[in-house]
Amino acid sequence: MIDDHPMIIEGYKNTLLGENQKEYQIKIDIASNCDDAYDTIVKSSETVPFDMLFIDIKLPPSSDGSITSGEDLAKHAKELLPKAKIIILTMHREDHRIHNILKNINPAGFLIKSDLTSAELLLAFNNIVKGKAYYSATVNDHFRKMMTNKFSLDEKNLKILYHLSRGVKTKNLPNYVSLSLSAIEKRKNQIKEMFSIAKADDQMLLEEARKRGFI
Amino acid sequence: MFRSFIKIIFIVFFLFSCNKPNDTIKDIELKSNIINSYIENGKDRKISEEEREKYLEKASTLVSTLNDNTFKISKKQEISYGYYSLGDYDSYKVLNEKALKLSYKINDSLNIAKSHFLIGIYFRDRTSDIQTTFENFYKADKIYSNLYGKKNSPESFAYDHGKALIDLAQILLKNKDYVRSESLTIKAIKKFSLSKNKRYLPLCYTNLGILSKYLENYDRSIEYNLKAIEFAKGTNKEISQTITSYSNIGTVYKSQKKYEKAKEYYDKALAYKSFLTNNLKQYSRLLDNLAYVNFLSNDLDSIPNLFYKALRIRDSINDKFGLTTNTLHLAEYYQSIGKDSLAISYAERSQSLSEELHNNQELLQAYQLLSEVSDSKSGLGYANKYIALNDSLIKEERLFRDKFARIKFETDEIVEENQQMSKENQILIIAILGLTAMFLLGYIIFRQQQSNKELQFAQTQQESNEEIYRLLLNQQIKLEEGRQLEQQRMSEELHDGVLGRLFGVRLSLDGINQRANDEFTPARDKYIEELKSIEKEIRLISHDLGSETLPSDVAYMDAVETLIKDLCAIHKIDYEFSNDEKIDWEEIPDNKKVNFFRILQESMQNIFKHAQAKNVKINFDYEDSKINLTILDDGIGFKSTKVKKGIGLKNITSRVSQMSGVVQFLSNNDSGTKVSVIVPI
Repeated sequence: MIDDHPMIIEGYKNTLLGENQKEYQIKIDIASNCDDAYDTIVKSSETVPFDMLFIDIKLPPSSDGSITSGEDLAKHAKELLPKAKIIILTMHREDHRIHNILKNINPAGFLIKSDLTSAELLLAFNNIVKGKAYYSATVNDHFRKMMTNKFSLDEKNLKILYHLSRGVKTKNLPNYVSLSLSAIEKRKNQIKEMFSIAKADDQMLLEEARKRGFI
Repeated sequence: MFRSFIKIIFIVFFLFSCNKPNDTIKDIELKSNIINSYIENGKDRKISEEEREKYLEKASTLVSTLNDNTFKISKKQEISYGYYSLGDYDSYKVLNEKALKLSYKINDSLNIAKSHFLIGIYFRDRTSDIQTTFENFYKADKIYSNLYGKKNSPESFAYDHGKALIDLAQILLKNKDYVRSESLTIKAIKKFSLSKNKRYLPLCYTNLGILSKYLENYDRSIEYNLKAIEFAKGTNKEISQTITSYSNIGTVYKSQKKYEKAKEYYDKALAYKSFLTNNLKQYSRLLDNLAYVNFLSNDLDSIPNLFYKALRIRDSINDKFGLTTNTLHLAEYYQSIGKDSLAISYAERSQSLSEELHNNQELLQAYQLLSEVSDSKSGLGYANKYIALNDSLIKEERLFRDKFARIKFETDEIVEENQQMSKENQILIIAILGLTAMFLLGYIIFRQQQSNKELQFAQTQQESNEEIYRLLLNQQIKLEEGRQLEQQRMSEELHDGVLGRLFGVRLSLDGINQRANDEFTPARDKYIEELKSIEKEIRLISHDLGSETLPSDVAYMDAVETLIKDLCAIHKIDYEFSNDEKIDWEEIPDNKKVNFFRILQESMQNIFKHAQAKNVKINFDYEDSKINLTILDDGIGFKSTKVKKGIGLKNITSRVSQMSGVVQFLSNNDSGTKVSVIVPI
């Protein structure tokens, strides 16, 4: 279990180690930052690999700066422990983050902390142990939104939206997306047209993109 | 009756009021008329001399009350002529000396010259002071000569100049300075020709004839004398001039020893009998000359009777000059026929007359003759006298020439000095003008600098205003940034710290609750659910705080929108505001931002003051690297052609032109106003 709040880990433990979980022998290792987590993962990959990883997204970054979040950690874990089930537990419920995590990690479990109750956690745990994936209702919502979009945006457009949402200015976008400024302008206008908000400003565009789950 | 009385009073009053301003002018006119009539009377030969003198005196007194000007001088001169004709030469001299002084005082060159000339006449006619005479004429000549080219009409004074020149020439002739006399005479002729007054030309040519004779240029001398007759033709002096010229020609022939020719001309002259009977002096001279020529040519028939005829006439009219010559001629005659005692007696008579008259030329001849005819002892004495006189004459001549030279030198010096002075005056005037110009220039420069300073001051004031605004804006941006940073921090703190721990607590509680499973479980579930909703709330708060990550340039637009919002709120007008995202306000220089801000402020003020608008629409658009600010209202508008540009519109225009942009004020009555400002970035 990787989380920087001991209270949260205690919550997980309290839930999982309850009396109704007697059929499992659960051994839990904990880590509160990326360095510890990585070391532990490496160590386990060499000895007894973990069956399941609880990873928080927001974590103190590693001291060498190579691992900055639970997302990065999950990527490493997937390589080091390919058999391990990864469960992402995060406070973030923004669509673009959910989208990115799904895309980059494709975790066995994806739980949004604010939705989470101990019953749900148990349910997720049991499902995942049985080999079924479990996603929070919010994540499922995100899936549904993605599916209902009649069109999809290619990677470049998504990147533009993503960086805009980060507060990058249009004129600085060429530094982030390998496109010329005029091309970026064109794409932005295309997106606006697709959203049928042709004359909207950037703020409205971002709002709409968020609504539609692209960011 | 009463009415006509009022009329008269009115007319009298009117006349008085009319007269008053013209008083002084009329006074002067009156005076000059009186003076003129007095002078007229003074010259009138029909009136007795006493009365004439009285008139002249009156005129003189009146003239002295006049202001110092050319008119006064000319009147003084006119009066002096009157005195001259009356024979009151002292008054003549005094008046002209006064006129000279006055002329110097008002620096009237023309009258300075004329006064010198007139004074010269006094000394010429009334004294034997040749030096002073010469001096005055010379000064007149000098000053006149300087006036050519300066005065517009040299004809006006050429005549007077000519008279001065001929007088000078005659003085030099007497002093045997023939060459200079000749050149002056020629100069005089030129002046008289210029003046077109030929009155003195015969005199000039006579003078030239005499000079040519002395210079032994006999043919030319005769020519000149004939010319003199020609110029005298038709004038009242024709006869007298003809006689003089013929006499002179005779003398020329005599000098050439052409006695027959000489006799011929003397006879020609003597033919004017009726004229000569009235001019006995001339007549006797002609007779004497003829007799002398006869004697010289050994034609002794009429000799000595002709000599005696002349002598008798001269005795009768007491012509002493004539007598000296006449007696000398007789002495010569008697010497030639050997009657020495008679010769001595006539020669002695001539001697005594010559001594009386200071006629040194004749005296010299007398001494010579006496020394020849007297016995050896007294003859030696006369010879010695002759030598002494001759020496003294030569000396005197030389002395005279020296004096003339000195006069000339001194006068030249004075004239030069005058020129120098006028030059100095010129320099002074130029210097004063230059100084004035420099002073003016300095003043202008000073004013220019002053206004420049004012402009600079205004400019710096504006700059500092903008600096203050920029600082304020920066401050606002910083504040905003700080606030955002703090919000961000709070957001993260809430999200990651508080929320995480709350979640952990809730999860633990939930887990424990599930396990406990007693009668309180539902109640606890409810509270746990409550915790969850608290979490949600905190998360929302955190989200709100964190999502407000505004770009920093929003500060400017914030300020703009705040301005619009506040102003519209005060004046109760609805507004629409839009800002094109493409405008990168962060990159736009502060002065432009300030200008846009002020333009907006100014336009809004105009709308509030004049437009009576209900809605105002403000857009910042971006097109082709240009910012287009449009301020549109739905007020009463104005006639763009009729409204005089107020300070507000002027300010807007100047601000826009400062940014090298274009501004348009479009309006029609009742259709609102559109202010469109297009500024290139």
